[in-house]
Amino acid sequence: MDRPATYYVKYIHSMPKTAKSQIDAFLPLPPTVFHMLLALGEGERHGYALKREILRRTGGKVNLGSGALYGSINKMLEQGLIAESDERPDPHLDDERRRYYRITTLGRRVAQAEAVRLRELVRLAEHRWGLPESI
Amino acid sequence: MKLYRWLLRLYPARFREEYAAPLARQFADEYREAQGAGARAILWLRALADLAMSIPAQFARESQQDLKYAARVYRRRLWLTTLAISALALAIGVTTGVFSVVNALLIRSLPFRDPGRLVETGYFIESRQQMYDWRNSSPYLQDVAAYSTAEMNLSRTGAAARVHVAETSSGFFALLGIKPELGRMFRAEEDLPANDGVTVIGYGLWQQMFGGDPRMLGATIQINGTALTVIGVAPPGFDYPAHTALWTPTFFDMPKLGKAGAILCETIGRLRPAATEAQARAIFQAELHREYPDEPLASFPRWTTLQSQLAGPIGQASLVLLGIMAFVLLIACANVAHLLLSRTAERRQEMAIRAALGASRARLTQQLITESVALTLAAAVAGLAVAHWSARLVSSVQPAQISAQQYGVLDGRVLGFAIAVALLTGLLFGILPAWLMSRAQPVVDSVRAQPGAGSGGVGRARVALIAIQAGCTVVLLAGSLTMGRTFLRLLGTDLGLRTRNVATVSVSLLGSRHEGHGREMQYYRRALESLRAVPGVDAVGGVNYLPLGAQNLMLFAVALDSGARQKAVPVSVTPQYFASIGAKLIDGRDFTEADRERSEPVAIVSEEFARHEDAARLIGRMVTTPYLDKPARIVGVVRSVRFAPNWSLAQFYLPAAQHPPGYMTFVAHVHGNPERYLAICRDRIQQVDPQVPVYDAMTLDARLQRALAKPRFYTTAILVFGGFSLLLALIGIYGVASYAISARTHEIGVRIAVGASPTRLRFALLRQTMLPMAVGLAFGVAGASELGRFLEHLISGGVPVDAPTCASAALLLAITAAAAAWTATARVLRIDPMSALRAE
Repeated sequence: MDRPATYYVKYIHSMPKTAKSQIDAFLPLPPTVFHMLLALGEGERHGYALKREILRRTGGKVNLGSGALYGSINKMLEQGLIAESDERPDPHLDDERRRYYRITTLGRRVAQAEAVRLRELVRLAEHRWGLPESI
Repeated sequence: MKLYRWLLRLYPARFREEYAAPLARQFADEYREAQGAGARAILWLRALADLAMSIPAQFARESQQDLKYAARVYRRRLWLTTLAISALALAIGVTTGVFSVVNALLIRSLPFRDPGRLVETGYFIESRQQMYDWRNSSPYLQDVAAYSTAEMNLSRTGAAARVHVAETSSGFFALLGIKPELGRMFRAEEDLPANDGVTVIGYGLWQQMFGGDPRMLGATIQINGTALTVIGVAPPGFDYPAHTALWTPTFFDMPKLGKAGAILCETIGRLRPAATEAQARAIFQAELHREYPDEPLASFPRWTTLQSQLAGPIGQASLVLLGIMAFVLLIACANVAHLLLSRTAERRQEMAIRAALGASRARLTQQLITESVALTLAAAVAGLAVAHWSARLVSSVQPAQISAQQYGVLDGRVLGFAIAVALLTGLLFGILPAWLMSRAQPVVDSVRAQPGAGSGGVGRARVALIAIQAGCTVVLLAGSLTMGRTFLRLLGTDLGLRTRNVATVSVSLLGSRHEGHGREMQYYRRALESLRAVPGVDAVGGVNYLPLGAQNLMLFAVALDSGARQKAVPVSVTPQYFASIGAKLIDGRDFTEADRERSEPVAIVSEEFARHEDAARLIGRMVTTPYLDKPARIVGVVRSVRFAPNWSLAQFYLPAAQHPPGYMTFVAHVHGNPERYLAICRDRIQQVDPQVPVYDAMTLDARLQRALAKPRFYTTAILVFGGFSLLLALIGIYGVASYAISARTHEIGVRIAVGASPTRLRFALLRQTMLPMAVGLAFGVAGASELGRFLEHLISGGVPVDAPTCASAALLLAITAAAAAWTATARVLRIDPMSALRAE
């Protein structure tokens, strides 16, 4: 324990800063990616389940094609927003083995940051015009 | 379901391997859930749309990653990569540049109405009536027009300028379908002598001389001293024929505008809708044959499409160059394939490890193809710069006949050609290594193998590449040597004159106040005196047809009183001309001031006449020719002077005082650098009369260089590409030889260990390299003699590609290649048998 204390101070201060700029680099998040992160936030899912979940949540408005879905999954895996968990049978469908995905810490923080960004936008709009309950 | 699975194969390799299974399964799930034909149809439509969107997206993603990797790979082998890219860039670039010329001359259509139906013939139309008779009676021509062109003096107020004038029949513009930018074109009756005092000016001339002023219509300008009224302005860019700036309807009224030199008349026609070009030519020739049954077909006037006439010899030359460039491109491709192959061999270990880590064959192939296509595209971009530069070079040496034929790289067809060539070459040498790689040994072996250990496929491919390269190189080398020999022969040609220390400057008196009634000579004498007064000038003369000045010359039959006949060019010269240009008098005397208009007609003949008669006996004999009213007495014999290095004609010289020409080139032999005298000579002559245009102030050396520019250009081009291909071939052969050694280090080490002599091994390796080369050489020599027939289009008076040339080209390649291979095998000496054995 003979390192100078300043070292730690510097390290502690710089740590969240890099993380924040790293997260900011993802924003604004494409809506499909945001939806996928939100859906995965509730637990691990395989591709098809993810697609159906998003379809359900958006009332059928966001219907991802398989190619687009796996294209996004591929990209998000590379970016480290999600990770592959393992292969196991889907209890609801059949006993074929399927690939499952889970959200990573980075993915969670990026989704949160996007939500905060959207909240700011909503607040701004509310402040400007006031928002009705529904249109 | 099968169809969907098949469609999934369109994804790039990496994505496909990762996600094809889940994608297929998800599609199966959705298909099961979709009830009814309608739902399934919608599912299919959605799936197709999804694939159409995501396949290109994934491709873009993966090639971006592959490109990044390729950039790293290439950066590690910077020298080889630079060499490969520059070789390809040069080959692709020059090929594209030459193609832009071919495109402009032979492919792009002319800017005339329905240009495919236009024909051109050298058939001379003598009168207006004959033209109309021909048109009305012809079964194949809908319309006929005639023109001739000449440089003339244009003046409006004050100073005169030389412009290119086309004298046409009145239907010229109508036949081509050209509408005026301003005013009108010629009316049908305006080619009658009473009505032909009108002119249409070019757009460029209108802008430059008259500032684009529309009030120019109706104004009067002077052409060779004849007043003409401007009635119209041609549209921008129209300058047919031959960069014409001004058109007059005076074709059937030749004396109206006095002209210098021989007149070349051309006839253009528009085919009737039903007639084809071949039919028309056949009927045309049959008609001529009926009229002149004794004349051979070869002496009939030519008959071609306007497009091929305008492309002229350049079209042929550029096609030959394009063919030659295809060879160079092939050699460059073979070389890059070498490069990639040896890299493939070096990278086998890397690839094997990647394969062991889970990369599939498809994925590695995709990587290799991306790498090679990236290499070629980089080369193609650099090549476009080369193409632009080479097109400009060609147009400076062989300019197009009209501006609509401007060679340009920024043309859809040329760019398309460049991209196609680049992609084709990229795929060509990208696929070979990739294919060989995919046949690589089992993974475990390769990981353990020596780097560079070759498989049979790679070895055979290399052998084939050597043979191809050697063959192409020999063809190019033989062509280079032949062109070089032809050019050297041109350079060594005795012109019969001395070009050093001679300044020349030309004037034209046509249309000036010095024209006619013997007034020309007064002007010429004053001009010669003013030149003689320039310090440093020691001999001055004048001539109407200067050698090395490209002109249309007229040949006349000249008969000696003995009856011997010779075709010769009449040339008017002043006294001292022969001294000033260094032409040697063999016998007799030069003209003197005593040879005047009224004194006895005299002539000096060139030595060709002496071929028929003893030179000494020519003096005092009489010559008669249709050119002269009276027989002239020969007073001298002079050495033959060539009009161009590859153009020799007999001449008979007449004193300018007895036959005053309307234009003259003054020749001054000076002390020291003639360049310094050009300006002063021009000024002195200008001072004699500012109204007379003085032009073409050049040294005789510069004129010679100009005459040699075209052959020099083609010779240089072929020599450069011959040398370039030799260099590429040597690099390729060196690479193959050194690769063969690195692949067999172990075997060689064992052999040395058991007592083989390194020199013997080197010979064995050398033999291995030279054997495929010999096969290539044999094919190359056969191809070279074929090439020889086409070189004629580049340089006239060419020598044929003969057996000694082929043999020396083959020998040159064989010796240098053997030297390169031998140098490469020097590594054998450094192989330590112990370390080779230890690797076991």
